[in-house]
Amino acid sequence: MAPATETVLVVDDEQGILEALADLLREEGYRVLTASHGREALERMAEVKPDLVLTDWMMPVLDGPALIERIRQDPALRHVAVLGMSAVDTNGLRRQHPGMDFLQKPFDIRALMKQVRKSLDAPRVQEG
Amino acid sequence: MSPTEQHPPVFERIATGVPGLDPILGGGLMASGVYIVVGEPGAGKTILANQLCYQQARQGTRCLYVTLLAESHSRMLANLRSMAFFDAAQLPQRIYYVSGFRMLEEQGLPGLLELLRREMRNHGAGILVLDGLVQAQEAAGSSRDFKKFIHELQVSAGLTRFTALLLTSSVGPTVHPEYTMVDGILELRERTAAMRSWRELQVRKFRGSASLSGSHHFRISEEGVEVFPRLETVVSREQPPDWGTQRVRFGVPTLDAMIPEGLAAASTTLVMGPPGCGKTILGASHLAEGLRLGEPGLMVSFYEGPDRLLHKAANVGLALGSAVRDGRLKLQWNMPVESNLDLVAHTLLEDVRKRGVKRLFVDGLSAMVETSHEPARISPFFAALTQELRRLGVTTFFTLETSRLFGPEMDVPLGTGLSGVAENLLFMRHLELNGRLRRLLSIFKLRDADYDPTLREFLITPQGIEVQPPFQPSPELLLTGIARFPGNHS
Repeated sequence: MAPATETVLVVDDEQGILEALADLLREEGYRVLTASHGREALERMAEVKPDLVLTDWMMPVLDGPALIERIRQDPALRHVAVLGMSAVDTNGLRRQHPGMDFLQKPFDIRALMKQVRKSLDAPRVQEG
Repeated sequence: MSPTEQHPPVFERIATGVPGLDPILGGGLMASGVYIVVGEPGAGKTILANQLCYQQARQGTRCLYVTLLAESHSRMLANLRSMAFFDAAQLPQRIYYVSGFRMLEEQGLPGLLELLRREMRNHGAGILVLDGLVQAQEAAGSSRDFKKFIHELQVSAGLTRFTALLLTSSVGPTVHPEYTMVDGILELRERTAAMRSWRELQVRKFRGSASLSGSHHFRISEEGVEVFPRLETVVSREQPPDWGTQRVRFGVPTLDAMIPEGLAAASTTLVMGPPGCGKTILGASHLAEGLRLGEPGLMVSFYEGPDRLLHKAANVGLALGSAVRDGRLKLQWNMPVESNLDLVAHTLLEDVRKRGVKRLFVDGLSAMVETSHEPARISPFFAALTQELRRLGVTTFFTLETSRLFGPEMDVPLGTGLSGVAENLLFMRHLELNGRLRRLLSIFKLRDADYDPTLREFLITPQGIEVQPPFQPSPELLLTGIARFPGNHS
């Protein structure tokens, strides 16, 4: 069970997937926020700083790569862990974004929880 | 025309990447057009739309695929991965999948429209697919709001030059009055009769050019959607060339002697008779003679598999195996179940054109006819098929099984279907004479050639076919199927 202080922001334009992921992570003890695209995610992050952003890649308004770029450029957010997920071939995405972790959709719950934990536990850019 | 004058716009065509569909549409979709693809769930709309996207992406066009409460993108891509047209390298740069459902739920049609416009602009996309128009229709407050949404989408498509495919499952009537304002409507449907089902595509509306009317069969395989335009709508309307004095022979000296000039080249011969009377061997002989003269051949069969046919031919001295191995002869075997008339014709004509086939033998015409679901179509279909074969200079042999083994009556199961368009008619039958079953052959009609109309015994021996001299017993007794020589009344 994850400590209740850890917050995961799930960003996905597919409503069914967004809700299912949120439920699963809550059951594991995480505090969960949701957004259906990158801009909405930034709005959420202005209110609550999550420990991890689990983001889809192809989304309307502001997509995954653009969201990550904005997070990395923001000194207040750049320490936040980011995990990408996509239905497209994530090997290709890994090559384009070295250093990023990705989950290949569809994934099973165990793989999701394992990767979420790994991303949260990984050393990251220090705040400030 | 002065330099300031402008030419009226000539719309480019957008290739769909769906084999057989562009000819039906008169060359493809019109650029900047808005099209509705309507059909029940599972009709193939999503595959067709994706096929278009991958085709266009390979040409460099970016495509935006927007879903509204459809299957998840990962599931859709998992289903597409096995399709030949799928190309992971196009994702996500050239084909981009997003969901517009949340926007539709929260902001209605105006919000969805804004999302579509913005995403098309952001991605520089030339193709838009909106999968789940029925959700938008249901979210619309009124049919007027829905029409307004489509109209505004059309204006955007015209202004920023994108082509849109709106996919919708049918609710109530398949084609709603609200759809009539779009540039085209393609309907996909699955039809069932008894235990069989088949898929049909119909262009219900197409602005800007003529399209091929009526329903066209399509299938979904690993190749994606493949449409087979109804043969009657695609064959050339031109008069076939005059093949002049070119003649064709069977390669059986005793039979060829009955037609001293030979059959007219590019003519159609129908050989009718009960099972086991020698029709297939006669057809194989027609092919073997062509091969001997260097003419590529094609055999289309329904019941007997290729190996069995080759074995059967080899037993009577017709060695066709080497021609099959070196490609001079092709055997197209169609299972007589779940096949389709247009698919059979398409495959047949494709090979004829590709290999320059000069002799064609279709064994088991009734099985081919049974692949059709519309008896009324048989006549025009065979008229179109034989016309095309004539145009291509193919001399064709069809066998047609009759159900009566003996007797004075002759049943022609096709009505005027093929017997009306075949220039040459041969009839074979069994006869019981002096305790022995014999085969008889007679020529009913021949185009542009004199022939011997006498009844002949038709022998099949290990050395091949042989036709005996004219048969002597009384003709009226022969017609009963049980003949006696004159004076023999025992």
